[in-house]
Amino acid sequence: MSERAAGSIYDLGYRRYEGRRLGRWDAVLSLYVHGLRAAFGLGRRTRSKVFPIGLAVVAAIPALGYLMAAAFIDIDISDAIRAEDYFSSVFFFPPAALMLFVAAVAPELLGRDLRHATLPLYFSRGLSRQDYALARYASMATALLALTLLPQAVLFLGNALVVDSFGGYFQDEWGQVGPIIGSSLLISLFFAAIGMLISAQSGRRAFATIGVIAPFVFLPIISGVLVGTVENFVGRLGVFLNPFFVIDGFTYWFFDAAPDIGEGHPLNVADFAGGWYFFFALAVTAAGIALLVRHYGRRSL
Amino acid sequence: MPLIETYALTKQYPGVTALNALDINVEPGIIGLVGANGAGKSTLIKILLGLLPATRGKARVLDMDVETEGRAIRGLVGYMPEHDCLPPDLSATEFVAHLAEVSGLPRTAARERTAETLRHVGLFEERYREIGGYSTGMKQRVKLAQALVHDPRLIFLDEPTNGLDPAGREEMLDLVRRTGREFGIAVLMSSHLLGEIERVCDSLVVIDAGRLVRQGAVAEFTAGLGSLEVEVEGDAAALAEALTKRGFEARGEGFLAHVGLNGDDPYDAIRDCIVELELGLVRLEQRRQTLEDIFRPDADEAVAERV
Repeated sequence: MSERAAGSIYDLGYRRYEGRRLGRWDAVLSLYVHGLRAAFGLGRRTRSKVFPIGLAVVAAIPALGYLMAAAFIDIDISDAIRAEDYFSSVFFFPPAALMLFVAAVAPELLGRDLRHATLPLYFSRGLSRQDYALARYASMATALLALTLLPQAVLFLGNALVVDSFGGYFQDEWGQVGPIIGSSLLISLFFAAIGMLISAQSGRRAFATIGVIAPFVFLPIISGVLVGTVENFVGRLGVFLNPFFVIDGFTYWFFDAAPDIGEGHPLNVADFAGGWYFFFALAVTAAGIALLVRHYGRRSL
Repeated sequence: MPLIETYALTKQYPGVTALNALDINVEPGIIGLVGANGAGKSTLIKILLGLLPATRGKARVLDMDVETEGRAIRGLVGYMPEHDCLPPDLSATEFVAHLAEVSGLPRTAARERTAETLRHVGLFEERYREIGGYSTGMKQRVKLAQALVHDPRLIFLDEPTNGLDPAGREEMLDLVRRTGREFGIAVLMSSHLLGEIERVCDSLVVIDAGRLVRQGAVAEFTAGLGSLEVEVEGDAAALAEALTKRGFEARGEGFLAHVGLNGDDPYDAIRDCIVELELGLVRLEQRRQTLEDIFRPDADEAVAERV
């Protein structure tokens, strides 16, 4: 010991690690947190932050604008933005921002590890392939949840300002909190499942991003044609092909409200009870997660 | 307790048998896994890590079954893959600390171990820069550091000197040697270069086309196969002739004679012959044969057969 002390203070030689070793759950948790930070480009170059944070802002712009307006001008309560309308296709911008966010972030979360071949470094640790896939999925879903809940919180505040009695609004509209959280959660899980499953197929970022955007662009077109022209049950089923309408369907069901849309709107033409959209979204989410986990379980290294 | 055991380990891909009924049994130390490219070295390492399932047979690492106790094994081993596996836009510190956490180290311990480990592999100030700007040598060091950061009991190094220049090779081999000797971590290192294995490893597993060729201590491979180099002032050929008459394996030319060390001790005979022939003895030196000497004739034959 004294010989060492007399030597260079910088080289203590190799020391064994005798400290605490955490379990599998902590390993998954650290991967999840790392992924969540990476989703917003935190701890990365500025370039990596531009898209995710920009899209988060885009998703919140209507709510922020509304809040500012409500703070300075008198808005009639009948013109207020309702929580259930915010991420509906009626409003367009917020759900489109969510879709683009998935298309930008999911290929980043999964594609980086594919592109740089880092997977063997994860899989050769105490983590299983399934753990990896689920942790990455959870990061994506949580990032989306932040994107959906934040504007809703701002909107809630804005609406409270529109109404004269601030405290009274909170008391009266407290019942909205459940549906807000419920619909935001399902939107996030649903989009994350679709985006992550597609992104897992290619390490090339451009391919993965286009692959995620494509169904959100083409499926609504097919859906529109089906519902509009095929006038039978099969045609009506086409409404489920449009992910945005699926979101509309279960969101209005959560809020027990009706969308402010015309008779000819595909949602009205198809005329399914809201619960069907809920179960459909749940089934797609579960299938997406199962396929994602299976994909990583089978992947050769 | 053996470090690694395999019983009739077989890995078949459609149309190709990567490993063919491999029986290996190695003790702790620095183990060299030698074979030509495509001999099955990487496949074997991946099966031992549980990254690939074996088609048939059993394998045990640190006395645990690869198939059923894979997770426990992976918690105790480190792995340095052959290929590039580093994200270019993170710093070495960030990346290695992240992997340390995934290995189960608490956050602060992960940071400390990362700094220490990166210093051990010879990365200092550069560790805060993005990996994308590193040289091949520095990247190899980061790869080694991530395999060591959680203080494993065994590390698998797949071709650690790949792509390095001669100086880089030396440094990497020195790091491997220190890992095995000073850090007390068992090492299984694959290489297609015998010279590297010989200088660093205690024992050796040679595979070819998925079959075990030989395994044992490096000393065993070279022991008994050496020769004596005798330099004399006079006719070495005459000395060789005299020794051959006494039953030794010897040949001489000019001032140099080579005497085989396979049979009885030739020292007394050499002395007597030199006295008889009145030659002056200048130098008597034992030449240890290298692994390359042992395998090269076979390799040449194999090539000749194919041609």
